[in-house]
Amino acid sequence: MKLTRTTAAFAVAAVVTAGALASCSSGGGSEETPTSATGSETGAFPTSWDEEITIDVFAGLANYMGMQQGWFAKIVKDKFNMNLNIIAPNVAGGGDTLYNTRVAAGELGDLIVTDKGQKLDELIQGGLVGDMSEYYPLMENVGQFDTAMDNLNAESGGVYAFPTSVSHLMPTDASEGLNPTFGPFIRWDYYAEQGYPSLDTLEDLLPVLKQMQEDHPTGDNGQPTYGFSLFKDWDGNMMVTAKQPACFYGYDEIGFVLAKADGSDYQSILDSDSEYVRSLRLYFDANQMGLVDPESTTQNYDTLYSKFQNGQVLFAWWPWLAQTAYNTEDNMAAGKGFEIAPVDDMEVFSYGAEAYGGKQVFAIGSKAEDPERIAAFVDWLYSPEGAYANSAQTLGSAGPQGLTWDINDAGEPELTEFGNEVFLGGGATTPEEWGGGDYLDGVSALNTISVLPIDVDPNTGFPYSYTFWPSYQEATATPLSEDWSANMGDATSTMDYLSTNDKLLVAPGASFTIPTDSSEVETLRNQIKAIVIQYSWQMVFASDEAQFESLLKELQDTANGLGYEKVLETDMANAEMQNDARVAVTAAFQ
Amino acid sequence: MTSSMILAETTAEQIEERGKKPKRGERGPGKKSFTPFFLILPFLILSFVFAYLPLFGWVYSLYDYKPALGLSGSEFVGLQWFRLLVSSPTQLAQIGQVLVNTLAISFLGIATSILPLGFAVLLNEIRAKWFKNAVQTLTTLPNFISWVLVYMIAFSLFSTSGLVNDILMDGGLITAPIKFLDTDQHVWLTMTLWSVWKGLGWGAIIYLAAISGIDPSLYESARMDGAGRWQTIRYITIPQLMPTYLVLLLLSVANILNNGMEQYYVFQNAFNQKYIQVLDLYVYNIGMTGNSLSMATAIGMLKSLISVALLLTVNWIAKRVRGESLV
Repeated sequence: MKLTRTTAAFAVAAVVTAGALASCSSGGGSEETPTSATGSETGAFPTSWDEEITIDVFAGLANYMGMQQGWFAKIVKDKFNMNLNIIAPNVAGGGDTLYNTRVAAGELGDLIVTDKGQKLDELIQGGLVGDMSEYYPLMENVGQFDTAMDNLNAESGGVYAFPTSVSHLMPTDASEGLNPTFGPFIRWDYYAEQGYPSLDTLEDLLPVLKQMQEDHPTGDNGQPTYGFSLFKDWDGNMMVTAKQPACFYGYDEIGFVLAKADGSDYQSILDSDSEYVRSLRLYFDANQMGLVDPESTTQNYDTLYSKFQNGQVLFAWWPWLAQTAYNTEDNMAAGKGFEIAPVDDMEVFSYGAEAYGGKQVFAIGSKAEDPERIAAFVDWLYSPEGAYANSAQTLGSAGPQGLTWDINDAGEPELTEFGNEVFLGGGATTPEEWGGGDYLDGVSALNTISVLPIDVDPNTGFPYSYTFWPSYQEATATPLSEDWSANMGDATSTMDYLSTNDKLLVAPGASFTIPTDSSEVETLRNQIKAIVIQYSWQMVFASDEAQFESLLKELQDTANGLGYEKVLETDMANAEMQNDARVAVTAAFQ
Repeated sequence: MTSSMILAETTAEQIEERGKKPKRGERGPGKKSFTPFFLILPFLILSFVFAYLPLFGWVYSLYDYKPALGLSGSEFVGLQWFRLLVSSPTQLAQIGQVLVNTLAISFLGIATSILPLGFAVLLNEIRAKWFKNAVQTLTTLPNFISWVLVYMIAFSLFSTSGLVNDILMDGGLITAPIKFLDTDQHVWLTMTLWSVWKGLGWGAIIYLAAISGIDPSLYESARMDGAGRWQTIRYITIPQLMPTYLVLLLLSVANILNNGMEQYYVFQNAFNQKYIQVLDLYVYNIGMTGNSLSMATAIGMLKSLISVALLLTVNWIAKRVRGESLV
């Protein structure tokens, strides 16, 4: 659960912060149809609702608990006379505890965002989600994505769930937009100071980072700088920060296996020569050089994020962390910021657009009091108006037309003054007629993407994400982006650089769902992953080489003693099935 | 909970016996009054609801329990979880380590249970009333702070960028921060110290009450005989407190496997995990964090088995030594 949640978070965040890279030319077409974007045709659903209702939304990805506030609440209230009471397991904490207690009580929520696969199957089997076959013919917006719908509901035979992160892209297209999800991002300004030293492989970064640290021992706030600052919040099957470098080489995790996107290699993470152990060794070496933040063991993501904001960290695994935190308008204008490092042998993993939708689904509770209205609401989320409004939490899509953006005289979408304040100026207060309050507090708390922001709005001919709009890109060219571009063969964006230089490996978006583990494998897995995480951390902070090796040995022995082989066998089989699905989806969409 | 249940039951039995005797004489063995039964009924219900009903939960260990499907929808797997627990030496070693941690921390806890007594005795000797009250309030207060907040305090003091490390670094005493929290050194000891800090003042209250119950004439006659302060403490206060201490000691021995989990839950991290995982925390980590509820139930049952074994042992010893058994 945790794993899928974080992976989804990666994908979401990646899509969304694409725009931090400024000097990029548009990928969107220039078709001009400046019609109103409020064209949400709710078909035969009633257009107004007399009775006001409040629904419980069990939102698996939400980071906010309580009543939906602000402009999104206002739109939903105006359209559906409905309030959203968000129940967020992420906020409640305690892993699956909240999910399990609600499920055991027989009522998860009126609207549910959860993982497809095991969880959804159990909810269907347990009768907790309702069959929406009755309303599906009315749901015209969801209907556009019928391939994904059919695929998702093929097994159950009804209409129990609606896919997320859908788009009209090909599964072999990167889903991420201008920036990949992963990548070795470094402080470009410091790198420039050293004269852009060449980097043959990832380990070559260590001396460069060390030099940076020596030249700039303190960040913007006067606190010490570090090459690597780690955190443990998202550790799932393994130590999350140690998996990321594997992604720079085209691998992603599936259980305890690192599978290469093109199906050419599968590694057990615990093999002494695996990419995972390589990362642990990288951090261990870095720690010996004084490059690892000693607070890594105790800090959480929020602390880490603020360290990035303060310029205390020199390396990041994700653009959506480093650039979002540090590449502010002011910093970039001063030439400071994070950009991808030109590591020679990297082959960055990219998630292809999921042909049949993302890992989460929307589902409607079987005990929902007004399933028709909720179905209408879900359908609206897939309309252009819904796509603009709903996917805005991580600043992906542009927000409601008329508030943050509008069509300009040239017939192209452009951020309004208010939109500029929100997206470039660090936030703004929403006008009273839009519900008031801070704009960011008013974004959809669902935090679940219905339509990918990279998908093109049929009404404007441009993507829902403002970062692709020419008007935005012109407005945000900076000394930093210009310097980076000049040294990267005039690349227009990170994605442009990676694909031009053959450093991108797109895993076709097959919407593969990992089959349910047998109960025994699941239990063994949970025991082993706790051990893996525990030892990984100890290895990074080992006092010397000998201790590192002996901890690795101990980890391998303990894991094997707990039944690692058995779990690995399952994961290897899953990895191969995943690859088969990728091959199949590529063939199907060609 | 359990100990108060036992007390309640004992009281109920006493009441029952007192009630029975005269009536038996009056009405003869054939006719019994229901009144005594109704008197103990509330206690019977209580102990049934809180002590016996939850045992039904053990049945979960025989299933592969999935909350969405309910118990009836989940697969019956028999003894699979128990077999898994003993399936490999590594599994056994894991549980062994957990039990060692549990017992070690409990024994340290019992060993330090003398501290509140000493503290109460010393506190009692303070003559300045305002000072005594201030000390007592300040030491009792930590008991009301939740473990999460205690951890906050610990974190801001002892993390690598905490107050203590900052002072040591600024003072030039150390060059690299000392890892107080994320280390596998002295875990049992530090955990015991934290709980002593938290519980000292609170634990002393019962002794202070006991001290005020000591007959003042004992002190008066001792002083007449020329006893000083230390002598009254040694020959009057401490011996008078011993019965209370022994009762509490006995109760804490009964709770030897119950060292709670909140403290260890908030303090746990990858580095001290091996030594901090006590039984309750292990069950929580497997069941809640690891989402294997049935397996966690199976491990949780272990606790009851060990408790029963301990009880029988103590009972056997009591029988041998005192000639009467507890149960």
